[in-house]
Amino acid sequence: MLSRVADSLFWLGRNVERAETIARILDVNYTRAMDLYSQRDGRSEKLWRSVMHCAGFVSDPQPPVTGKSANDVFGFCAFDAENSTSIVSAVRIARANALGVRAEITTEVWELINVLYLYVEEQKLRSVMREGPSKFLRRVRDRAQAFAGVSDATMTHGDGWNFIQVGRYLERAYMTARILDAIDVANEPWHESQRMLEMCCASAPFAHASHQAPDPRDATSFVVLAENFPRSLRFCTREIDEAMHRVSRSPRGTFAIEAERRVGRLRSQLDFGSIEEMLSEGVQTFARGLVREYELLTQDIETTYFPRLPVPA
Amino acid sequence: MLDLQPPYGVANHYDELYSADGTPRPHYEKLARTLGRLGRDEILARVADVDTALLQRGVTFTVYADAEGTERVFPFDIIPRILTAEEWARIERGIQQRVRAVNAFIYDVYHSERILREKRVPRELVYSSKNYNREMINVDVPHDVYIHVSGIDLIRDDKGTFMVLEDNCRTPSGISYVLENRDVLKRSFPDLFADYAVCPVDDYPGRLLDVLRYVAPRGSSQPNVVLLTPGIYNSAYFEHTLLARRMGIELVEGRDLIVVDNVVFLKTTRGLERVDVIYRRIDDDYLDPLYFKNDSTLGVTGLMNAYRSGNVTIANAIGTGVGDDKAVYRFVPDMIRFYLDEEPLLDNVPTFDCTDDVQRRHVIGNLDSLVVKNTNASGGYGMLMGPYAPAEERERFKDLIEANPRDFIAQPVIQLSSSPTLVEGGMEGRRVDLRPFALYGRGVDVPAAALTRVALREGSLVVNSSQGGGSKDTWVLQ
Repeated sequence: MLSRVADSLFWLGRNVERAETIARILDVNYTRAMDLYSQRDGRSEKLWRSVMHCAGFVSDPQPPVTGKSANDVFGFCAFDAENSTSIVSAVRIARANALGVRAEITTEVWELINVLYLYVEEQKLRSVMREGPSKFLRRVRDRAQAFAGVSDATMTHGDGWNFIQVGRYLERAYMTARILDAIDVANEPWHESQRMLEMCCASAPFAHASHQAPDPRDATSFVVLAENFPRSLRFCTREIDEAMHRVSRSPRGTFAIEAERRVGRLRSQLDFGSIEEMLSEGVQTFARGLVREYELLTQDIETTYFPRLPVPA
Repeated sequence: MLDLQPPYGVANHYDELYSADGTPRPHYEKLARTLGRLGRDEILARVADVDTALLQRGVTFTVYADAEGTERVFPFDIIPRILTAEEWARIERGIQQRVRAVNAFIYDVYHSERILREKRVPRELVYSSKNYNREMINVDVPHDVYIHVSGIDLIRDDKGTFMVLEDNCRTPSGISYVLENRDVLKRSFPDLFADYAVCPVDDYPGRLLDVLRYVAPRGSSQPNVVLLTPGIYNSAYFEHTLLARRMGIELVEGRDLIVVDNVVFLKTTRGLERVDVIYRRIDDDYLDPLYFKNDSTLGVTGLMNAYRSGNVTIANAIGTGVGDDKAVYRFVPDMIRFYLDEEPLLDNVPTFDCTDDVQRRHVIGNLDSLVVKNTNASGGYGMLMGPYAPAEERERFKDLIEANPRDFIAQPVIQLSSSPTLVEGGMEGRRVDLRPFALYGRGVDVPAAALTRVALREGSLVVNSSQGGGSKDTWVLQ
C-alpha cells in the first residue's frame, strides 16, 4: 500500500475517533454543569477546565472559566477551526484524508464521512446552543461510531483497514489517558470518579462489572485494565499491537520495527502489571507517562511507514 | 401533470424531442408519456432526492475562478437524451475514423513529417503549437498509439446533422458523470427505463483498463497500471477516484512516485514497487520538472527519461496536444483523406484562420456574428460569443487577435440542438452537445457511454460546467 495512503488512513481513523471522543466529553460535562451540585464552589470552573485539559490545552496561570465563558469553552472545543482538536477540525481533517484516499475506501465509508462533514459544516454555535447541544453531539457520535461498523463491514480487512484500526485505537487510548490525567478525584471521589467513567463511556460497563458505586481506585483500575471493555487502555493497546502485527506479518510476541517493540512493552505492562504498582506515584504521573508513550508510538509508526513526503505547495 | 403539449418553442434549430411539425419523434414518445404520467410534483420530489444523493456522494467539481475553490455538484437534468441505434452507429464510425487519422497525424509530426513535407498542413502551424513537443521527436510509443483516450465534442446543426465542434486528445474528462448519472437515474427514475432497451455504460472502466494493459511496455506480462492525479484540488478529482476504484488500480500523486535508474516506482509501506503504465490526468507541462515547468510539484522528477527509455507507458502519450490544437482542427478532414484515403464521415464546423490576412479581416469585421476561441484554452475559458458579448468585450478580443493571430480561430455561431429539460415552470428546450469517448488500443473502441452537456440558461449556447452547464444521462438504444 502507498505510504501516503497508509498515512491518510491512520489519520482518518484517529480523527473520526477524536470527533467522537470530544463530542462525548462535551455532552457529559454540559449535562453535568446543569446540576445544582456542579454549580457551587467553582466546581463548574473546575469541570470546564478539565475539558480544556482533555482537549489538550493547559495554560498557566489558568483563566477563569465561569458563566458565559463555559459557552466559550464549548464553542472552542466544538466549532473553533483554529483549534486543531475541535470537532469541526477533526471532521475536516478526517474528510480531507478520506478524500485523498477516496479510491481506497468504499463508497459507503466515503459517504458516511462526507455526510458527517456536510452536517457539521452546516451547524452554527448559536443555533446549536439554543436548541441544546445534545442533539448535535449525538449526531456526531452516531456517525463517528457508524464509521467503525461500516468500515468493518464493507472494507477488505487488509493493510488499509489495519491502518485505520491502529489510528482508531491509538487515539482512543491516548484520549483515555488524557481523561485520567485531567480529572483529580481527590476532593470529590464519588462525583469525579463517576464523571471520569462517563467521559470514558464506562459508567454502565463499570457498574455491571463491579456491582458497586464508583470508588476511585476501582474506577481507575477498570478504565486502565478491564480486559474486554473496548475503551480500556489494556484493550486498546492490545488492538494496536494486533493490527500492527497484521501489517508487518511478524509473529506475535516479537517485533520487526521499533513501533512494535514499544507497543509490545506497553501491552505486557498492562497485561501483567498490578494497578497498585502503576499508580504508586499517583494517577497523574501514570497517565502522563502513558500519554507520552502513545505520542512516541505515533512517531515510531510515522518513521517506519510514512516518512514525511514532500507536500505540494 | 407536467405540461407536455403544446411543445415548447422550437425555432430555427433542431430539437431532440419534437420534430418540426410539433409531434414527438417516435423514440421519445414513451418517455414523454411516462413523464406526463408521473406528474410535476412527483418528479420534483424525486429530483430533490437526486440532488441530495449527488452531494452526499461527492459528485462535485471545483470552480477555479472561485477564490475558495468551491466544490459544486455538477447540475444533473433527469430527462435523458436519447440516441437511436442508427444515429449512434454513424457517430461511432465517424469517431473511429477521426481518431485513427489524428493519431496517425501525431505519429507523423514526430517522425517523418510526411504531411508537412507534402504541404497538406503548414509546417509553421505545427511548430508554433504550444503543445507540439520536441522531446517526442523520434520517440516510439507502444503500438504507435498516442491518444489512448479522447473525447470528441459533437453538435447538431439546424438540420440535425452531427458535426465535430472540437477534438480533445489530452486528458478529456466527463466519463464519471456518465457513470454516475446512469446509476442515479436508474435508482430514482426506474419507471423511465421500462419501455427502452438502453446500452449499458458501466463497462467503460473495464474497457479502459484493457487498453492500458495492452499498451504496457514489452516484457511486462502483469503490468502494474496506476492513475496519476494532480490531487484533491483538481476539478476532476472525483472522476480520478471513481476510475481508479472501478479499475482496481492505485490512484497516485506525483509524490508517491520515484524514478530510479530510469524505472518508475511507487513508494509503498513495503518498499518500492515497479510501475509499468501511467494513466495520467496531469497536463504535459506538469509531468516532469526536469523537462517542463521546473517549479511544478505535481509531477515526477526523471519521468521523461524513464518514458523515453521505454520503461513506462504514459497514456495519453506526451505531445498529443498538437492533435487537438484548435488551429490544427480545420485540417482533420484533410488528415482523414491523407492517411486513410477515406472521405470524412463527420463534418467540421467551418473555421476561420486568423493568421491569414483576408480571413482575419473578415473575422475582425464580423465579431458580432462569430464565436472566437483561444487555440490553447479549453473548458469554455477564453472564448467570445460574438452575438451575445458586450461591445467592449468584442473590442478586447479584436486587440487580442491582432496581437496574436495564431492563438485564435473563429467559427460561425451554430444553433445547437435543444433537448427537453426540467426548468422552473415545467419542461423546456435547452441546448445540448455530445461528447463520446474513444479508447484506442487494439483498435478504436467507442463505448456507448457518451456525455450530454446541457446549457441550463435559457437561450445559452455554452454547455461547459464552468459556464453554467449541466449534464444529462445519454441513452444509446439497442
